[in-house]
Amino acid sequence: MIKLEGIDTYYGTSHVIQNLSLEVDTGEAVSILGRNGVGKTTTMRSIIGLTPPKKGRVLINGTDVRGWPPHKIVHLGLAYVPAERHIFPDLSVEENLILAQGQGGGDGDWSLDKVYEYFPVLGQRRRSGGTKLSGGEQQMLAIGRALMGNPTIMLLDEPSQGLSPILVAKVASIVSDLCSQHGITLLLVEQNFRIALAMAGRHYLMGTKSKLQGEVRSQEIIEDQELIKRTLAV
Amino acid sequence: MFAITVDIILNSLVLGGIFVIMGVGLNIIYGLNRVMNLAHGALYALGAYFGFSVVAVGGNYFLALLIAPIIVGILGLVIERVLITPMRKRSMIYTLILTYGLMFVIDGLIKFFWGVETRFIHLPEFMQGTVSLGSASYPVFRLVILIGIAAVVAALMLLLGRTRLGINMRAASEIPEMVSACGVNVRGVQISGFVLGCMLAGTAGVLAGPLFTVFPIMGHDMLISSFVVVVIGGLGSLRGAVIAALMIGFVQTLAEFFITEMAMVIVYMLMALILVIKPLGILGEGKFE
Ligand SMILES: Nc1ncnc2c1ncn2[C@@H]1O[C@H](COP(=O)(O)OP(=O)(O)OP(=O)(O)O)[C@@H](O)[C@H]1O
Ligand SMILES: [Mg+2]
Repeated sequence: MIKLEGIDTYYGTSHVIQNLSLEVDTGEAVSILGRNGVGKTTTMRSIIGLTPPKKGRVLINGTDVRGWPPHKIVHLGLAYVPAERHIFPDLSVEENLILAQGQGGGDGDWSLDKVYEYFPVLGQRRRSGGTKLSGGEQQMLAIGRALMGNPTIMLLDEPSQGLSPILVAKVASIVSDLCSQHGITLLLVEQNFRIALAMAGRHYLMGTKSKLQGEVRSQEIIEDQELIKRTLAV
Repeated sequence: MFAITVDIILNSLVLGGIFVIMGVGLNIIYGLNRVMNLAHGALYALGAYFGFSVVAVGGNYFLALLIAPIIVGILGLVIERVLITPMRKRSMIYTLILTYGLMFVIDGLIKFFWGVETRFIHLPEFMQGTVSLGSASYPVFRLVILIGIAAVVAALMLLLGRTRLGINMRAASEIPEMVSACGVNVRGVQISGFVLGCMLAGTAGVLAGPLFTVFPIMGHDMLISSFVVVVIGGLGSLRGAVIAALMIGFVQTLAEFFITEMAMVIVYMLMALILVIKPLGILGEGKFE
């Protein structure tokens, strides 16, 4: 379970996240929808500890981790898939996976073989350098790497970025299946709201300076297609 | 002719091998900590002196090869904690100046504890004399040291290529933030890299001691040569450093053989030439391979 209580996060003196509170229950899949630059990525960085908030509480299963170094937060069962993927260029596919092996502290049984089973293309390219992969393969590697830690909570930032529509749909369905099968709690950021609808059941609508404009269920968006546009255009 | 060829080849491998150990150490420290360690040559000298002392108090050369790098490594840990960690958030110029000062501190301590006279590391019986290789002959101790260098380089490649720590180090030199977001204590990896780099300098010192004798400022030339290696190979590139080290070892040995006075001039001219053609060095992309 993730619970943010009134967090404030800065880049230098620029106050990016202002008094943000949100909650993702165990086993839930939730997305944050919002325009460019409102602070979606920074919200994730605040949770994982890469840009620690200066105020408020970041509760992971009840423990306040604000100010903890990222690796300790990961050890509580978090995994982070950044929008840039951040595949280590000079490590092979396999080494990228080994790096994260067992770090999430969960009792899952993710292994190289199991990742290759879900993403066969990674198995075929296990010896290739990380950056020799295509965009889709890099995204699969980033997700596979996150799974290697046996996480119970996954932060997934714009998985659709730079992928073809077919690949996007494929990655989305794999991730959704994985999370429901393994009981992984998912916090998702997406510009592509169709993907967000497919992957998450509840959505926070984020406006400028991380101000939440509302919270909707997928069903409400499906019934009222203009809802998101109306709310986020404010 | 055959004898000269054998001499040049083996000598350049020995020299190049020392440069590999020094250059890779410097590069690991830089890649992980963004610190250009100007005390690297002084740590090399310290390694040689600790090696000398281990042998002087009754140990043998191989024990010295084991103990001296550990002592230098412990010192490296202290240096990291006291001088490097507090400067982490500052520009590189701070650690540049601090390690420059440290070089002179170590030079002074060496003169204070060991004196200014040249020291000779006493080698075991079996390493004295020469072996014949066809019509050529070669000093046994140089051959043993060459094998020692090869063993150190092989161990280093295994560490970096096959172990979890090695993977972490290579990753942390590229995207440190992502390493911590994968659950690895990246500060620990950075500190290990600093200590490993220092241990390599100490190891190179013990290996080089019998080759070039042991004297207080023995690290000065070696620091410059290590820089040349790192710059030619490409800052942060391990593979580049290995290639550059072997190349410089060969060019310097060859030049010393034929035109001794001009040897270093030729090395620097080669560096300038390579940098004109490839400003980032042979394999330099600001990366760490
Ligand atoms: N490293 C940084 N230093 C300073 N400001 C930053 C930094 N990263 C992001 N920002 C600023 O913080 C704000 C929020 O950025 P963030 O990346 O969280 O937005 P986002 O909602 O993820 O946007 P996008 O949809 O473009 O990914 C933006 O105004 C951005 O310009
Ligand atoms: Mg973003």
